[in-house]
Amino acid sequence: MADPLSTTFAALADPTRRAILARLASGEASVTELAEPFDMSLPAVSKHLKVLERAGLIARSREAQWRPCQLDAGPLRSVADWVDHYRRFWAESLDRLDDYLEKLKNEEKKHDRKQRRSN
Amino acid sequence: MTESNAGATRQPAASPNLELRLTRVISAPRALVYKVWTDPKHVAQWWGPRDFVTTIRKMEVKPGGAWRYTMRGPDGNDYPFDGVFLAVEEPERLVSEGSIHGDPEQKVWTEVKFSEQDGKTTLTVLQRFEFESYATRGAPIGWNQMLDRLTEYLAKA
Repeated sequence: MADPLSTTFAALADPTRRAILARLASGEASVTELAEPFDMSLPAVSKHLKVLERAGLIARSREAQWRPCQLDAGPLRSVADWVDHYRRFWAESLDRLDDYLEKLKNEEKKHDRKQRRSN
Repeated sequence: MTESNAGATRQPAASPNLELRLTRVISAPRALVYKVWTDPKHVAQWWGPRDFVTTIRKMEVKPGGAWRYTMRGPDGNDYPFDGVFLAVEEPERLVSEGSIHGDPEQKVWTEVKFSEQDGKTTLTVLQRFEFESYATRGAPIGWNQMLDRLTEYLAKA
């Protein structure tokens, strides 16, 4: 069993499934509606929906006859958090780099002053 | 997305991937920034988030040269990050490829560019995350577009 993030990435690693999610970001839709923009049979679209459903990226209503699909942002948030981790890595590393260079410059100045005095 | 420069031979152009781009202006000349970026003694002083301590186990700054860093987090856990330099163009460009936790399926491709203007250095970092096992080769829609929409969506949620 893959870890949840891997399952999410696997589900996202397909352009049709990403397009379906993008469509659902603007509101719930039926399978027929979701199939419309693709040159694809309904069973093929249903297959993609199952992958998304298993990854917890969409939820399907059990009540209504047409079982509308809804986007579930939970797993997507984990992906966003994961990328944020790297954003933080760079932001803080570059802050530290900045501070470190400042320190080096100050040390150099002190060193210069010392040399001038001893000359 | 594709660049024809040296070191690009193993660039994951065909697979969908996540990208992180950022730029930063540093008040120091390029030669110094490049030195501090490529000398392990200096790198250990600033690499990693604020509360991390980095140990450079190996750093051969040349094309094909290996680097091995260990970042120790505030939780006491070690995060090893190993890789290889693909392109080394002093003092303007470094390209490397590494693996998170030594997992060959989680590759990270990083390009750092150094440019100088009026004694200041502009750093441009481009990082791509590649997930070979999950990749659909030749997928036309990039992860970025998906992530943009995702970010918009999360902002609303």
